[in-house]
Amino acid sequence: MERVDVKVLDRRKMIEVNGILFLALILSIVGCALLGPVQIDLSRAVKNLFSSDSNAEILLRTRLPRVLLGAAIGGGMAACGVVLQALLRNPLACPQMLGVSAGASLGGILGLIFLPNWLLLLGGGLLGEISWVPLAAFLGALLSMALVYRFSLFHGRLHPYHLLLTGVIFNAFIAAIMTFVNSIVDFYQAQGLLFWLLGSLSTRAYSTVAFIWIYVLLGFFWLWSKGVSLNLITLGEDSALQLGVEISALQRQVFVASSLMIGAMVSVSGMIGFVGLMIPHVMRLIVGSDHRLLLPASFLAGGIFLSWADTLARLLLAPAELPVGIVTAFLGGPFFFFLLYREGRRRIAL
Amino acid sequence: MNWFKHNLTALFVVNLFFVCFGIEAHAGEAKIPKSVVSLAPSVTETLFALGLGDRLVGVTNYCDYPPEALKVPKIGDFISPNIEAIMAKRPDLVIGVSGATDLQKTKELERLGLKVVLVSAANLNEIMNSMKSIAGLLGNEAAGKRLVMKINAQVSEVKKRVEPAPRRPVLLLVGIRPLIAVGGKNFIDELITLAGGTNIAGNAGQPWLNLPDEYVVAKAPQVIIEAGMGSEREASSKRWEDLKSIPAVRQGRIYSYPSDKILRPGPRFGEALEELARLIHPECFNFANNQRNGESRCESPRP
Repeated sequence: MERVDVKVLDRRKMIEVNGILFLALILSIVGCALLGPVQIDLSRAVKNLFSSDSNAEILLRTRLPRVLLGAAIGGGMAACGVVLQALLRNPLACPQMLGVSAGASLGGILGLIFLPNWLLLLGGGLLGEISWVPLAAFLGALLSMALVYRFSLFHGRLHPYHLLLTGVIFNAFIAAIMTFVNSIVDFYQAQGLLFWLLGSLSTRAYSTVAFIWIYVLLGFFWLWSKGVSLNLITLGEDSALQLGVEISALQRQVFVASSLMIGAMVSVSGMIGFVGLMIPHVMRLIVGSDHRLLLPASFLAGGIFLSWADTLARLLLAPAELPVGIVTAFLGGPFFFFLLYREGRRRIAL
Repeated sequence: MNWFKHNLTALFVVNLFFVCFGIEAHAGEAKIPKSVVSLAPSVTETLFALGLGDRLVGVTNYCDYPPEALKVPKIGDFISPNIEAIMAKRPDLVIGVSGATDLQKTKELERLGLKVVLVSAANLNEIMNSMKSIAGLLGNEAAGKRLVMKINAQVSEVKKRVEPAPRRPVLLLVGIRPLIAVGGKNFIDELITLAGGTNIAGNAGQPWLNLPDEYVVAKAPQVIIEAGMGSEREASSKRWEDLKSIPAVRQGRIYSYPSDKILRPGPRFGEALEELARLIHPECFNFANNQRNGESRCESPRP
């Protein structure tokens, strides 16, 4: 873990860094919405914004909601990565490594298959396209986070090796359950379930996009409000305790908040990996490890990253598209090994 | 994505296909197979359509047509048949589909001394050739010829009907979240063309592909057909309601056609073709219109 600055927050730096990143996010959203496998005539799109012109429709109805969704999910994943790395004092912690994304996926799949039809339709009427599935995914995320955490405790202490090992085993176990579920449902239904495993973005109704943003922002601000405590806990549990941090309460809150975010995100995008691992590390190098600054900076950077990754996914094999999880894995896999190598070289006692 | 995976290996399968027929050339003269295991629903359907369904001693869990197929013992599923269950039947012949049947399993069965034949389902011509070769293998070439003639008659009937109508851009989907469409290099693409449509994803090299929504908007299909039997509970009308610039959406021409007939490269594709043509060009099958003579037979449908 990096050196921790426990000092007065530099407001100017805060505004500068986040201002620049916010601007970059807005520009990325606009830029990504302009790029796609189909060439659009921008002037015609602007002229016919509210009629059913195909240019305007491509821009506003198919690309923009998808880019906005990608920004929310990238941001949310990165923010979850930051807090999990801090709370668990483990540089490799992120929703994917710990098996929390997988848990959310399993929850979502089980919800999709076993929740009775009338319940889904009831919620669908009230809350738009999706409703109960994110809730099931949230429960899956929360449950797996609690399980992984519980099994990583060693004589009442969190043991980082155990944590990663538990995460790896938990991931493998969940993968087996999902494969099992996949083989008991019928052939065509199985095709529909694959998207949970691949991690992909697709165009969603604005109501769904808004729904996900609300979940993600709620979780984000909750986590952000814990910035100081997160700074203290990176010093070690004992020091944090002495400095007045209620560790178990903090842990509970962080787990619930990040599960809420992960559940919502996974229910619309499946398991998009590596964003939560990579972005926090890059941002920690750039802005330092004060969580009051790092958290919003990572959120914005995660949004920028996933918007562009998804644009690549849409363009690389046009007109066919790749699942965005493949793009993030291509970028994130090598990064993960670099991280392991660097940690090994520094001989940091985990 | 098993479909994609298996299509990647299609090249190898084709090789094996020749190997299998090579074996057949030597051993085939000896005797006509009395017991057959089918490794694909389309093969099962073909055997019943040839009137040779009674030779089947094992079929997959997905073989549900004709109803008699349900009574034949099961040997596992389509993607991964159970070797032991097949061995237990001691069949004279095992028939699978190249590109779909697991190659490892095929080799394993051959190693155990069974005769395995993989038939091709790459395009309509191949599918009909496969029917003939299955009939030939089972010693009833005449039945094969009759079946292919029947299907050809169905095809030319549909061709005649839709011939005066303008070609309509069509999108045929097997999954709506994400959008999985029928690409080129797929016999369903040929069916769309025969039914008087043009597949908007037909220029893609892949047999199935994941399409972005914007591509659909740009290609403006007049008819959208959802052939998926997926788990998606999302109402498809909702999926498209925002995209009013698509003619199919505006005119309410989004059809749900969850049918095995069209997805299986089997003997019912002639029937599927007619149903597909009725969805794409309902006006050509309108009785009143057909009573009038000449070129005005196919008028555009009332919106």
